[in-house]
Amino acid sequence: MNKLLKLALVGAVASFFAWGCANQEQPETDPAPKTAAEQPADSTLNFEPIVTDTLSADSLAKLEAERLEAERAKLEEMINRIMLDDVYFDYDRAELTEAAKRILVQVAEILINENRFVVTIEGHTDARGTEDYNLTLGARRSTIVRDFLVAYGVDGSKLRSVSYGKERPKVQGSDEEAYAKNRRAHFRVTIE
Amino acid sequence: MMRKMKLFVALIAMMLAVPAMAAIDTIAVDVGISVYKLMPIGVVPFEEEGKIKWNGEAPHLILTRDANLSGRFEAVPSNQFDLVLFSKKRARQYVTGQATKLSNGKIKLDCFLYAAETKDLLLGESYTVKPQDVRLAIHSFFDKVVYRLFGERGVATTKLAYVSKIDGVKQVVVSDYDGFGRRQITRDTSINMMPVWMQGNKGLVYVNFRKHRPNLYSITFGGQERAIFTQFAQTFSPAVNPKTGELLFSVTDNGKTDLYRGDIKSGSAKKFLHLNSNQVSPAWSPFASEVLFTSDRGGSPQVYAVGHDGTDVRRITYMGHYNERASWSPEGDRIVYTSMDDGKMNIYTCALDGTDIVQLTSNAGNNEHPSWSPDGKLIAFASDRGGNYQIYIMRKDGSGVTRITNGTENTSPTWSWFFDEKKFK
Repeated sequence: MNKLLKLALVGAVASFFAWGCANQEQPETDPAPKTAAEQPADSTLNFEPIVTDTLSADSLAKLEAERLEAERAKLEEMINRIMLDDVYFDYDRAELTEAAKRILVQVAEILINENRFVVTIEGHTDARGTEDYNLTLGARRSTIVRDFLVAYGVDGSKLRSVSYGKERPKVQGSDEEAYAKNRRAHFRVTIE
Repeated sequence: MMRKMKLFVALIAMMLAVPAMAAIDTIAVDVGISVYKLMPIGVVPFEEEGKIKWNGEAPHLILTRDANLSGRFEAVPSNQFDLVLFSKKRARQYVTGQATKLSNGKIKLDCFLYAAETKDLLLGESYTVKPQDVRLAIHSFFDKVVYRLFGERGVATTKLAYVSKIDGVKQVVVSDYDGFGRRQITRDTSINMMPVWMQGNKGLVYVNFRKHRPNLYSITFGGQERAIFTQFAQTFSPAVNPKTGELLFSVTDNGKTDLYRGDIKSGSAKKFLHLNSNQVSPAWSPFASEVLFTSDRGGSPQVYAVGHDGTDVRRITYMGHYNERASWSPEGDRIVYTSMDDGKMNIYTCALDGTDIVQLTSNAGNNEHPSWSPDGKLIAFASDRGGNYQIYIMRKDGSGVTRITNGTENTSPTWSWFFDEKKFK
């Protein structure tokens, strides 16, 4: 439920970001404050033409690209923080629990509304068992999560499922508490 | 002959290219009494001409360790030739030698195998080596002793590949069969795991996660690393055919894991089995006529066997709910596998039809990833019995458990094939 609140926040940030991109094409009517990079170019144009040389169209585009990349990275980090909730599984099982489905519904809502997110679903297992069999178990887990999201309406081409087996435990330890936290599907979001 | 030379040059290059790591001291933990008869053999210190400062252990200590690890001998150490002791311990032969320090810094080792009673010379070998190669020369002599007395190849000159945690990253390393001379093979900082030896010990096939998913790579000793079978998104569980060098491996696609069979060089591969279940951990029989694998078709991982052409699937294991990573003894008569009970993993062997189950490890943490020595006398495995995971060697009946690594986590040992005879010049 927290995730939905956060989603609203991210939605706002994301749409601001998207709007910024859209407005790029008509800078004359841009109501947003000009960036630090643009301002000196305009105000000093008449007096020091040499400044326009240094701020050529190329370098402006580069600065803009850097700004967009920074925004993208920031948003990517934010969405990954929100998606930190993992989906947990029972021992040696790859079926979704009710709690898991509740999280997945929220994740699906985010992904349906935001088609620039590409999500890698990592399937993980606890430390018990062999490396080989745990890779198959992780694959089954990541795939069932993917299938659920697709069935809910998420574009399957934006979802990748991979297995890490028991190689990347979230929590160290060899008790049931640690095991339970490591039997999970984890979301890694990248923004295109 | 040229190929042998090339391989040898490549091995030397590998050793030079990769800085040697700190020597690993090792300890022995003896558990259980062997049900196979061990042959007592006397070991007498070498006569030394001039004071020799050994780079590590003296030759007779290396021989003692080789004998006790071999699964064939039991060393009877003595400070000098002692017929009374040798007779009492039933050691009919003994090994000893002579070491001479040469002016060029090298050491000349004359190694002898004698009949104890008659003092007849049964075998004599001479090596002139750099001080750091004494260990390898003694291993070479020991395997000649095995051949002289058993008519079979020994494993003192073989190697192990395994996974070592280095700076927190799982890396593939290679060492001598006794854990000495460890060298790092992989450098990538994601995850490296599941090493297996290519045919002729030319290199390794292993799994790497640099693309954020499990993928097979091959590396030759000399340096060429490359991604293999890149037509598949997720590949793991490699097994090299001992006759042809081709690879069986697992491919995961859309949540389903299947076995594929492919050629490492050309990269072509096709599905090996058409089953509705997931299949992992393939292993070839000694003459590649059959394949063992694990399937979850019964709801839990169990070991199955199938013909090399993919027909005639039969189930091997029925006891317990988790039987995995089976491999076929090079002698052909037994299967070793890992079984999990109550969250603890232990190593078992059984006959080819799944009967005559023998538990090799118990009450000592987790014990997993068994790998046969190429002569079938020994099994290397990983265990956390000492607190963290280390590599151990035991005889095929579970006796003579000896730890051969220390330091941070070491797992997934895979024994090499036999090496062609190395020339010391």
